[in-house]
Amino acid sequence: MSQLPPVVIDNGTGYTKMGFAGNTDPQFVIPTVIGLPNQSRYGIASRRGIEDLDFHIGNEAVTNSKSYGLNYPIRHGQIDNWDHMERYWEQSIFKYMRCEPEDHYFLLTEPPLNAPENREQMAEIFFESFNVQGLYIAVQAVLALAASWTAKKSHQTLTGTVIDSGDGVTHVIPVAEGYVLGSSIKHIPIAGRDITAFVQQLLREHGESSIPPEDSLDVARRIKEQYSYTCHDMAKEFTKFDTDPSKYYKTFDAINSINQQSYRVDIGYERFLAPEVFFNPELVSSDFLTPLPEIVDNCIQVSPIDTRRGLYSNIVLSGGSTMFKDFGKRLQRDIKRIVDGRVRKSEELSGGRLQAKPIDVNVVAHKKQRHAVWFGGSIMACTDQFYQFSHTKAEYEEHGPSICRHNRVFESLA
Amino acid sequence: MPAYHSSFNETEDVRVINGIPLLPLASQGRGTSPYANPSVTYDAIDEAIELFRPNSYFKNFEIKGNGDRLLIYVILFISQCLNKLRATTTQSEAVKMLHTLAVTNVVIPADAGFPLQTIYPQLNAADRMEGDQLRQYLQQVRLAVVQRLVPIVYSVDGQPSQTPSKWWLCFQKRHFMGKAMH
Repeated sequence: MSQLPPVVIDNGTGYTKMGFAGNTDPQFVIPTVIGLPNQSRYGIASRRGIEDLDFHIGNEAVTNSKSYGLNYPIRHGQIDNWDHMERYWEQSIFKYMRCEPEDHYFLLTEPPLNAPENREQMAEIFFESFNVQGLYIAVQAVLALAASWTAKKSHQTLTGTVIDSGDGVTHVIPVAEGYVLGSSIKHIPIAGRDITAFVQQLLREHGESSIPPEDSLDVARRIKEQYSYTCHDMAKEFTKFDTDPSKYYKTFDAINSINQQSYRVDIGYERFLAPEVFFNPELVSSDFLTPLPEIVDNCIQVSPIDTRRGLYSNIVLSGGSTMFKDFGKRLQRDIKRIVDGRVRKSEELSGGRLQAKPIDVNVVAHKKQRHAVWFGGSIMACTDQFYQFSHTKAEYEEHGPSICRHNRVFESLA
Repeated sequence: MPAYHSSFNETEDVRVINGIPLLPLASQGRGTSPYANPSVTYDAIDEAIELFRPNSYFKNFEIKGNGDRLLIYVILFISQCLNKLRATTTQSEAVKMLHTLAVTNVVIPADAGFPLQTIYPQLNAADRMEGDQLRQYLQQVRLAVVQRLVPIVYSVDGQPSQTPSKWWLCFQKRHFMGKAMH
């Protein structure tokens, strides 16, 4: 019997990405939310024993949120409610993927610094409840590194710094030979949601009164996604807008979601100010002021000294908020500037007796950044190594859930 | 990359009163200004008008020299000017209104009305003349700002327009360093 493709499921705080390995994009991207019936609906008298099947996940849960209470089973990347998560997986597999779990291997993802007990719990659910053929639990940051192997300037190593920026929070995660350097991970409390709010505020400031208030956030998000680009220098960018207005100012046509009338929105400086938030957090925040390039540099500087060159030479972007045009280029330039400045200073201090070998700073941007983690999983699950390293049903029955505490690191693409 | 600084911080051989350097201006204002210098093509006012928009987004600013002190003054004055304008104000009304604003109640950093009074150096109390001289200089600066700012604000897509550009009016609510002159 030919092997059916493994199923790759990446459960994130905001969205769950799932699909079969070998595809370039996930089949389903749905909110990680489960809608459970409100307590009042089932009185003691009306119990028929099927109420545990009465729930929705993803977008259906959101549309039915009047009669179903919404629960978010994942908090800050970690599974918070295992009972809800198990039901979430149940519908993911049977209703969305529509596959028989006993015919497939599964690849699941976990955040960096996840406790091994959580992996055991995952193994218990997948082997006992779903009876899967095999299971592999991969670290999200490592999969993001694997996803960058498709890029042209990639080194195809598992050493590198992952910048993962989604909707809620941005992480900078150093990975050395497939292992996450937990003590050096940095967090930035600025991500997609803050940028959208900033764009919304800018639109309001230049008096776009035609936007209906209920569409305002959505319009801001679409403008952010479609028109933003990263500039070289804020002050010079304003001058560019003055000298060539027709090229830089844009208009955005939208339709009012309630009365279906179309309206027009003018777009100006928000085009380059939106991504600028990462480089000048002062634009949106009053307490967090460290720019992203500085955070990345700090993160690498606190990592073990023998990994630093590798970490600088392979900085990988992942997540929707890193999709801005030329974001990688700007980041590379700014990090390079910091690093070169430091090298120059140490050469000066040595009085010209020491010559440092220049440090290669390389930011890798690629086409699959948005769902990089899932895509990395899809690549990994296609290799022969995946079947070797996965824990099979037989192994589970022999040793128990503790075998899933450790998952071997992939060496390279076969 | 924090807020932008003045390129005139390093300029020497300039008289400094109350922290403000009396830099030569490129102004061709009416009458002969003692500070106008025909050989200057890019002065502190041009720079401040250029840096007004990017710097308006910043609340923190480290003063690195006297050039920055003048920059702060001019940026706060530009902001004050913009706040006088309405979306319907015509260009001739604006010229008149801002001209009056420039010559009346010229605040110097030592005055209580200046929002950053405490972080500027004190005025030499012994020399009463200095305050008047600075006031005179700043009035020149303010007039030059109005003269150059109005044509910029009253242009849409590179063409002169009757109403102020919304791409400038949107800075009415932004305050550099969180301060405003009244």
